[in-house]
Amino acid sequence: MTGALPLDRLQRWMQAVIVHPGTIEEAAAGPAAASELPAEQVGQVIRPSAHLQPLERLEIYQAMYPLRMEEALASDFPALKHFLGDDAFFRLALDYVQVHPSRSFTLSPLGQHLADFLAGYRGLRQRAFCSDLARLERTVAEVFDAPETDVLEEEAIARVPAEAWEGARLVPIAALRPLRLRYPASAYLDSTHDEAHRHPRIVRTDEWVVVYRRRFTVFRQDLAKAAFLLLEDLVAGRTVGQAVAAALKRRGQSRPRAEDLFPWFRRWAASGLFSSVQLG
Amino acid sequence: MNRWNLPDLGVGIGLRTTHFGEILGQRPPVDWFEVLSENFLRTGGRPLHVLDQVAERYPVVLHGVSLSIGSTAPLDFAYLGELKALAARTRAHWVSDHLCWTGVLGRNTHDLLPMPYTEDALRHVVGRLRQVQDFLERPFVLENPSSYVEFADSTMPEWEFLARMSEEADCGLLLDVNNVYVSSFNHGFDPHVYVDAIPADRVVQYHLAGHTHKGTHIIDTHSDHAVPEVWELYARSCRRTGNVSTLYEWDDNIPALAVVLAEAGKARAFRDERVGTELTASAR
Repeated sequence: MTGALPLDRLQRWMQAVIVHPGTIEEAAAGPAAASELPAEQVGQVIRPSAHLQPLERLEIYQAMYPLRMEEALASDFPALKHFLGDDAFFRLALDYVQVHPSRSFTLSPLGQHLADFLAGYRGLRQRAFCSDLARLERTVAEVFDAPETDVLEEEAIARVPAEAWEGARLVPIAALRPLRLRYPASAYLDSTHDEAHRHPRIVRTDEWVVVYRRRFTVFRQDLAKAAFLLLEDLVAGRTVGQAVAAALKRRGQSRPRAEDLFPWFRRWAASGLFSSVQLG
Repeated sequence: MNRWNLPDLGVGIGLRTTHFGEILGQRPPVDWFEVLSENFLRTGGRPLHVLDQVAERYPVVLHGVSLSIGSTAPLDFAYLGELKALAARTRAHWVSDHLCWTGVLGRNTHDLLPMPYTEDALRHVVGRLRQVQDFLERPFVLENPSSYVEFADSTMPEWEFLARMSEEADCGLLLDVNNVYVSSFNHGFDPHVYVDAIPADRVVQYHLAGHTHKGTHIIDTHSDHAVPEVWELYARSCRRTGNVSTLYEWDDNIPALAVVLAEAGKARAFRDERVGTELTASAR
């Protein structure tokens, strides 16, 4: 028992205070904390120090919590932070972890809901662009952490009989994500690496991006729409024959020229996007 | 020597991303590396690739921050399973974590939150420690935390809690002398009494680090050089324990590898000189 609080209630109370986004007084008086311990009884649970009163001591933990969460999110979303600025990103991080707190033993999944959260987040300029940028940066983080898989070698490709390709499936590496974006998030991410920060205009622009990892380095390629749709079908598990047939039935920019197909396959194989060929 | 004959690995440093290139390229003269376990779980990318190479060349110890041994939430056996696999992969000499809790109700604050030092809490922690050790099947070591609050209901000082915990659960201790110093200022106790009360034969490892003094309290930031008082505590404790595996921690404002290595070198000179002097004096 601690100040008449059993250990489980003590921990629920302390956590409720620490994760509260308001002042320490508001945190101690908030419903989650006060249901475990009335605010006026804090002094019966926490001792004062020579310099600090009980709530001031607790405030040390409460102040560090948002800093730690913001730091974790900033490491995965540096371009989003660059776009929003330090203050707006900090407020976003605070609001986000109130809805999506960490529930994992590692901080790496913390930002997995940020893109969807941003899509409905009020009071933000260019909300849809921010959501796309978060989706892109989250994808980069996932690809960075994805398992390492073998890459399909030229010799293995050469061993596939020509007549077998139509029914063959190209198995993607684990660290590969095709990503459709509605705003120039990929161009913006590039511009944050450019010292002059020549940012693109943030207007509605389709981007067709593949994010993948090769030899422990994450790459992005902007694809033509027709190439992206074909690759997306292959990654989804369609056979080469099915994916090509579907591509050639598309119209406009979605339809590849027949002469584009072989160079695309060659480039994707050279980039190490596939791990094996499954023959039907 | 500790009671389990776990080896004195010498003086090590933490494996940090910013030093990966230098460590692999230059093979610096480090006795061993401590690895933050959670940074290498659920990732298959470059960090794990680097860790595999480091573990080929140097002794490795795993140090965690998410075990939450003091929490009233159930132990996370999915986490422990992954930790056990990582320990096997790296041939870790032992696995360590902190005497703390990190969250309840399915939430992780990712902070090392303090325990009340009561008989109930002691029984709770000891019971969970036994489960963890049975599961991991590898030497397990618990570190004294730095803390910023004290609970009114505590019935024993932290050092007594640690001593009884390590005896009743039969686990090792990682004595962080910077944490002792930080908590001694924050709570107003004598740090010498603390280190003198720790059972010497259960100390498997030391931590040394810097901190940030805020005037009214000290924060354990691992962002600087250790202060002279911490070195003095380290030397004092080494005289009781003999040479024990020691690690210099630097986690924030991480400087060039050479600066961290210089602190590790200082620790090596400090412990060897102090312990050597004491042993010589005893022999006379």
